[in-house]
Amino acid sequence: MSELFSPDFLFRNAILGGLGVSLLCSLLGIYLVLRRLVLIGVALPQASAAGIAAVFWLTGHGHAGAGDTHLLALAGSLGATFAALGLLALGQRRARHPAEWGVGALFAISSAATILFVAINPKGDIEMAGLLRGELLAITGADLRLVGGVLLAVGSLFFLFRRDLLLTSFDPEFSRTLGRDPLRYDLLLYLLIGGGVGLGVMMTGPLVVFGFLVLPALAALRVAPGLVAAFAISAAVAVLSFLGGFWISYRADLPAGPACVAVAGACWAASGLVMRLRARRGAAALLLLVATLGISHGCASRFEAAAQRAASPLPRGSLPEALDSRPIAVLPFVNATGQPLTIPQGFLDDVIRAVGGRPAEPRFTVPDALQQRAAFELERRGFQVVWVPEEQRRTLLAGEPLATSGVAAPAGFAGPVLTGTLRRFTLTGTGLLLVQLDLALVDSQSHEVLWSGAARRPVPIQSALTWQEILLDAGAPIFADAFGNR
Amino acid sequence: MDQADFGYEGRPVVRGASLVVRPDEFVALLGSNGSGKTTLLRGLLGFLPPLAGRVERRPELRIGYVPQRETLDPLYPLSAYQVARTGSWRDLPFWRLGGARERSRTRAALEACHAAEFASRRYSELSGGQRQRVLLARALATDPELLLLDEPTAGIDPEAERGILDLLRKLRETRGLSIWMVTHHVHAMAGRADHTIVVSEGRVQRDAAA
Repeated sequence: MSELFSPDFLFRNAILGGLGVSLLCSLLGIYLVLRRLVLIGVALPQASAAGIAAVFWLTGHGHAGAGDTHLLALAGSLGATFAALGLLALGQRRARHPAEWGVGALFAISSAATILFVAINPKGDIEMAGLLRGELLAITGADLRLVGGVLLAVGSLFFLFRRDLLLTSFDPEFSRTLGRDPLRYDLLLYLLIGGGVGLGVMMTGPLVVFGFLVLPALAALRVAPGLVAAFAISAAVAVLSFLGGFWISYRADLPAGPACVAVAGACWAASGLVMRLRARRGAAALLLLVATLGISHGCASRFEAAAQRAASPLPRGSLPEALDSRPIAVLPFVNATGQPLTIPQGFLDDVIRAVGGRPAEPRFTVPDALQQRAAFELERRGFQVVWVPEEQRRTLLAGEPLATSGVAAPAGFAGPVLTGTLRRFTLTGTGLLLVQLDLALVDSQSHEVLWSGAARRPVPIQSALTWQEILLDAGAPIFADAFGNR
Repeated sequence: MDQADFGYEGRPVVRGASLVVRPDEFVALLGSNGSGKTTLLRGLLGFLPPLAGRVERRPELRIGYVPQRETLDPLYPLSAYQVARTGSWRDLPFWRLGGARERSRTRAALEACHAAEFASRRYSELSGGQRQRVLLARALATDPELLLLDEPTAGIDPEAERGILDLLRKLRETRGLSIWMVTHHVHAMAGRADHTIVVSEGRVQRDAAA
C-alpha cells in the first residue's frame, strides 16, 4: 500500500486521481439522484466530451505537449459542461415541456457532435480518442492537486450548506418561507456538478463519470437510514468500486474504466439483494461468496487466455536466421532514460510467470521487464535463450551495449548476447507510449555486432492502465518493431 | 391585500382579492377544483407577486406553511423527526451547527401534533394522516404567527381528517395562531372555522360565517 504513495510508482496518479473523481461523483450523485436529474448525469459528460473534441478541432490540435493537451481538454470540458447547464436551466425556466426533452436532445446532439468533431479534425485522432474516453494514465501531479482541491471544495460546501441544500431540494416552497432562495442553491449545486463533471470527464471519461454519479448514489439511497449515511455509503461504494475495478482490470487484462463501473453496478445490484434478504443474512452471505468466487475464476480464466494469445509463435523478421544453434543470452537492459521507472511488486509477477519468465527481484524496473520480454519474444521466434542468473544482473549492468557485451564472456556467456539500451519510455498525456529501445546481438568472444535493431514507433495503450496491461499490450508491438516483423 | 390580481405568465387566475389577515382567527378558503384558491394562497405566501392591486406584509411576519403532502418526494431518506426539524432552521445561519434549542423546539412541535410516537420512522413509510401531522409539526417548529395550509385533509380518511382539524383548532386556542386553510371539504369546516372565504371562478368572497 505504501508504494501507492511513492513518487516512483507510475500508477500512483492514476489511482489517486481516479479515486478522487469517483469520490467527487459519488457525493454529487446523491443530490443528482434525489432531485431526479439522473438523465442530466448522462447528457452532461457527453456534452463535456463534445467540448473537448470541439476545442481540439478549433485549435487544430495535433501532437501538442501533454501540458497543452490537458489545458485544452480542461477548457473544452468545463466550457461545454457549463454551457450545457446554462442552456438546460434557461430552457427549463422558459419552456413548458418536461425537462427530459431538453436533456435528451442535449445527449443526442452532444454524441453526434463528438463524433463529427473527431471526424473533421485531420490531426491527432488517436490522442483525441484517448482524451475523449478519459485517460487515467495521463493524470499529472497538477491534475491531482486540481481534483483534490475540487473534492475539498465540494466536501466543504456540502457540509457548510448541508441544511440549505436539503431544504431547497426537498421542499423548495417551504424553504422560501424560511427566507432561503432555492434558485441560489440550485446555482451552487449546478456549479459543483458542472465543475465535477467537466474535470472528471477529462480525467476518466464520460462512462466513468456517469457510472459513478449514479450507481454509488443509487446503492446508498437503497440501504441508507438517513441522508448523512447515504453520503457516507455512496463514498464507500465509490472507493470500493474503483479499487476493485482497478484490481480486476489488471488481473483480467480489461480496460479499467468499464471494470470500475461494472463493480459499481454489482454493488448496486448487491444493495437490492441486501434489502431483499435482510431477514436472511446467511443466504445473502452465501450468495456474496459464490459471486466473489465466480468473478475471481472468470478473471483468472481471462488472464490465462490473454497469456496464451501472447505466446503464439512468430517469424524471425530481420533477426539472423542461424546463430550456429547457439543460445542467446539476454543481458540486462541499460536504463538511459534518466528516470527510475520502478515497477511496484506483486502483480507483475503474474505477468512474468504468464509469459514464461521468472518472478522478479525486489526492485523491478521497466528495463528489467523489457529484458524479460525480449527473452520471451526471442523464444517465440524460435531462438534458444539463456536466462541470466539474478546474482549476475548487477555486475553485467556496465553501460553501453558493447561494453556490456564485453563483460559477458568473463561472466561465462560464450555465445551471442542480446544487449539493450532504453533511451525513452514516456507515457504521453493522450495514451501513447513513446519508446526508444536500441537492441544489438553481439558475439561475446569477438565483440562483432551480428545484428542491430531499434524500436521507435509510438505504441497506443489507450485501454492499458496497469503495468500488466502495458507489458502485455505494448511488449509485442515494441519487439515486432525492433525485430522487423511488419 | 387590496384589489390584488394573482396569476401565471401575466394571466390573472384570481382577480380583485381584498383580504386582511388578523391575529387569532381560523379561516377556511373554500372552492371547487381549479377555482383559484391555491393561487390565492400562493399570493398570500408571497410566491406570486400581484399582477395588479396591492399587497402589504409586515417584513418580520413569521409564516408557517404546510404544503400538499404529495409535493414532497418520498425518495429522500429522512425520518419524520428529520423532516420536522427542518422547520427549526429558520433562524439558523449556515455556519452554525444545530443545537439543543432546535432539537427541543422540534420535539415540542412533534408532541403538540401527536407525532412524537412515530418520529423515528421513515417519512415515506407513514400514512397520509401521519405525514400531515409531521408537516404540521414542521410548520410549528418555525414558531409561526400565521399558519397557511394547502389542502391538509385531502386524501385522508374522515377520522384522520377530524383529528387534524381538531388539532388545528386546539393550536389556535393554545398558541393564538392565525390559521388560513385551503380546502374543498365544506362540511368538515362547519363549526370549526371562524370565517370562510369562497373562491369561485377567480372571484373572492368573504363571509362572516362562524
